[in-house]
Amino acid sequence: MAKAGMWCVLLPLCVAVAHADPLLDDADWLRTMAFAAHETNYSGVFVYQAGGRVETSRITHVVDEHGEHERLQGLDGQRREVIRNNNQVWLQLGDKKVHFEQQRPRRAFPALLPEQIQSLKENYNVIQQEEDRVADYHAHTLLLQPKDTLRYTRKMWAHSESGLLLKAVVFDERGKVIEQYAFSQLQIGGAIDYKWAVPDEQDAARLAKRKNLSPLPKTNLANVDSGWQVDGIPAGFKKILEMSRNMRDKEFPVVHIVYSDGLAALSVFIERTTDAEGYRAGLKSQGAVHIYSRLIGDHLVTVVGEVPPRAVIQVADSVRYAGENNE
Amino acid sequence: MKQEISVLMDGEMFEDEADVFLDKLKRHPEADRDWAEYHLIGDALRQPDHVNRDFMAAFHERLQAEPTILAPRRRQQQRIKQYAISAAASVMALALVAWLSMQVGQEPAPQMASVQQQNMIRPVAFHASDYLMAHQEFSPSADVQGAATYIHSVAAK
Repeated sequence: MAKAGMWCVLLPLCVAVAHADPLLDDADWLRTMAFAAHETNYSGVFVYQAGGRVETSRITHVVDEHGEHERLQGLDGQRREVIRNNNQVWLQLGDKKVHFEQQRPRRAFPALLPEQIQSLKENYNVIQQEEDRVADYHAHTLLLQPKDTLRYTRKMWAHSESGLLLKAVVFDERGKVIEQYAFSQLQIGGAIDYKWAVPDEQDAARLAKRKNLSPLPKTNLANVDSGWQVDGIPAGFKKILEMSRNMRDKEFPVVHIVYSDGLAALSVFIERTTDAEGYRAGLKSQGAVHIYSRLIGDHLVTVVGEVPPRAVIQVADSVRYAGENNE
Repeated sequence: MKQEISVLMDGEMFEDEADVFLDKLKRHPEADRDWAEYHLIGDALRQPDHVNRDFMAAFHERLQAEPTILAPRRRQQQRIKQYAISAAASVMALALVAWLSMQVGQEPAPQMASVQQQNMIRPVAFHASDYLMAHQEFSPSADVQGAATYIHSVAAK
């Protein structure tokens, strides 16, 4: 009886091992997935579940001679939409439309750098699991199991041919689902309508304007030393960059420090505010992403990360100023 | 007393009851013996090959024999502990808010709970989406997710 029970446990493992693709290393799968996310043309309906809510969206991604165009369009409730053309992002919530300019330089692939993969392997066990089917496509599954409780477990279903992420589930340390999403219908390649993409001339003009603004070169980004010290960064997270950036509706430039464990990232934003009374410490959550803010004197500290809530709180609570006093 | 011990061992005692009872145990050496005996019985029933009658006595003896190490603790460790404690306190204070992330897979929370949550803690008047967008530029997992990662910015709150 006991033996039979053990076989039930072991059998799926054996199947998984037998089906693992010998040609692809686990990390290769991640690289392929990141590549596919940026280089594949696709359009489909996508179901997202978090916090007891389920909602559907349409996602379209097209690459042409002008670069990347993508759109996420909420299909339920009020109008919710994100359109991205390369580094230009428009967010529409109801009647409100906001424009963002991303700092990210157009990436040279592979998107995941070797040091990221290295750091990922230090913090997660990457395990190829069973093959499956999602939205009628054959998929390989990858389990990213953290070696401690400071990060979430992720399971990903990647399209076996293109590597496109078809389904993803995030679990907490007790194995409870924090959020999940999956395509329920998907077209990969072929003719995809993208009339919504912002006309090229407009985009080109904006890009030209940006060139005059001389965005910070990448080497400079890492070298900015704001004088702010963050001591409570969870083990395994390494500082990727520290930069000073302008953000919408902000009086003063915002210090943005990014840490990553190879998969999850933690952002620390620090900004001077003249309206300290208007802010209160608070945690905001959306699925696996948590945002926590608190005040230090007349500075507002905001920590964002796809890590357990206690990690963002721990990080925010550990921020202190260690630079010159005459800041 | 014996019955209480048995209830506690079975994990059927409420937490506050258990606290009071454990305090009582400490003050009664004979109850302590009962406690050890009950565990011995339990062990014997479960694993007859590995019963260790005098485990506590032996352990006590060995502990006494251990040299005392007088080394200053590293400062950094203390600091981390402090953060852990303050984080724990914050987590407790915010437990009501965190329900959002904990409730996945369950029935939608009743209306009362969400109203309460809004009153309990009004999230800072920040533009969450601005920070989210800036954060996603550099997140490896966002890189793998592609456009799907924007769901965090547009998901119905």
